Amino acid sequence: MSTPQMTQVEGYNFAYLDEQTKRMIRRAILKAVAIPGYQVPFGGREMPLPHGWGTGGMQVTASVIGTDDRLKVIDQGADDTTNAVSIRRFFAKTAGVETTEKTADATLIQTRHRVPERPLQNGQILIYQVPVPEPLRFIEARDSETRKMHALREYGAMQVKLYEDVARFGHIATSYDYPVMVNGRYMMTPSPIPKFDNPKLNGMPALQLFGAGFEKRIYAVPPYTEVQSLDFDDYPFEVQQWEESCAICGSDHSFLDEVITDDAGSRMFVCSDTDYCRERAQSNREQAQENEQ
Amino acid sequence: MTSLQTLSSQASSLKTVDASLLIAGFENPVAQCQQAFRQLLSATSEPGTLQTMVATDAQPAGLNTASWSLALSLFDADCTVWLSPVLAAQPALVSNLLFHCQTRLVEHADEADFALCNADELDTLQPFSFGSAEYPATSTSLILQVPALSDECSLSAGSGWTLTGPGIKFSRHLCVAGLQDSLQQELIHSRNRFPCGIDCFFTCDHTLVALPRSTQLSIDQPIDQPTDQHSAQES
Repeated sequence: MSTPQMTQVEGYNFAYLDEQTKRMIRRAILKAVAIPGYQVPFGGREMPLPHGWGTGGMQVTASVIGTDDRLKVIDQGADDTTNAVSIRRFFAKTAGVETTEKTADATLIQTRHRVPERPLQNGQILIYQVPVPEPLRFIEARDSETRKMHALREYGAMQVKLYEDVARFGHIATSYDYPVMVNGRYMMTPSPIPKFDNPKLNGMPALQLFGAGFEKRIYAVPPYTEVQSLDFDDYPFEVQQWEESCAICGSDHSFLDEVITDDAGSRMFVCSDTDYCRERAQSNREQAQENEQ
Repeated sequence: MTSLQTLSSQASSLKTVDASLLIAGFENPVAQCQQAFRQLLSATSEPGTLQTMVATDAQPAGLNTASWSLALSLFDADCTVWLSPVLAAQPALVSNLLFHCQTRLVEHADEADFALCNADELDTLQPFSFGSAEYPATSTSLILQVPALSDECSLSAGSGWTLTGPGIKFSRHLCVAGLQDSLQQELIHSRNRFPCGIDCFFTCDHTLVALPRSTQLSIDQPIDQPTDQHSAQES
């Protein structure tokens, strides 16, 4: 639902950050787009909420957003969770921009841990909140070393990690934050999105920007860029599947959340993307009404 | 290259603001810097698409509208700028850059985050920083003022390229007039040094086009495959 344009609160610069900070972040974003998948360091600022709540994504959004933009914010696919509501209100107040919950209407989408189910269009910008931007960090703790590994394109260690999964569990058990190769050059973490969303990154018509506030890194994937999930010839990349369908809209092809409904262990499965579910449920209702008439 | 730098250091005596030469910058700096940045972002994320940049009433002698718009939106005291000898010899340009952007002008091109230059002055990329394998983003971004730009290869005296790579669905055409042959060759060969490289912005009048290092260039041949050059303006 679109909300009418709010008036900007007084006492803050447009979109909270000062102009010099925005210019610094903008220069970093342009470099990030020019070197797809490479993590560009930037001077991360304190934001009025703690690290881990999307300060990286917010700094990118604040540097990109303009009065003409329509902003959507999602957290795990939902528009109505605390994090999403707070960030959406923050920009409605400090930038006075229009906000929306509809994926199709948004020009900017800030997201935590999901890619919307509805395919994004050219001209839209998807901004990810990233906790740990370095895919190799849990394999090699030293930044000087991971830098060298990226420089030399020495990514064998990640294949070994995935192989250990296969040896231990019989399949690749990594189910989110699944590493990808961008444009055949840089290994990148897509942020903790479920691997279900990884195929959407490949050749996406929208621009994808990633902001890590705690680690002060920005990286990007331009539109129509090849993004391949790592795998093996005999253990190809696979996404999650469910036997259930969404309890609200009946979707059998979207990413489902399991919701516990009582203390007796009853549960239901619903779409994690609330806008997609709402849209489908609405069209189901309209279809049913047409059939009645 | 030596002569470029010698000339440039001679011009360094001009690095003071002459108040009589100042012109107005953006009327609404916050909004217009953001608009200019979004155009630069679109240009960089979709290489080869022509952008008509936010305009000011006037620009300092030596700069075209698009270059001035880029300077106002990206330059500040935290970045270094190198001016080509001809541009460095323009007191109005130097004064306005120092006044509006508080930018640090450097004498050696390899120290610069941004380099501003006219196409007829530049025959090599050698003086600029390509960044390092571990820190490729420390490279110089080149803003090159050219006599004409087109996304259809209709320019008589221009280099026609077919662009492919990130940000381009199939391929795009780009025609940049006035580039020296040696520079063109170096631009094409520098693609082999990725992730090191120079990100270029070509500007002409109000128009700007970006050629980031990730874009592959080939000299135009007649081709049959589909191109998305006509859909380039739709966003």
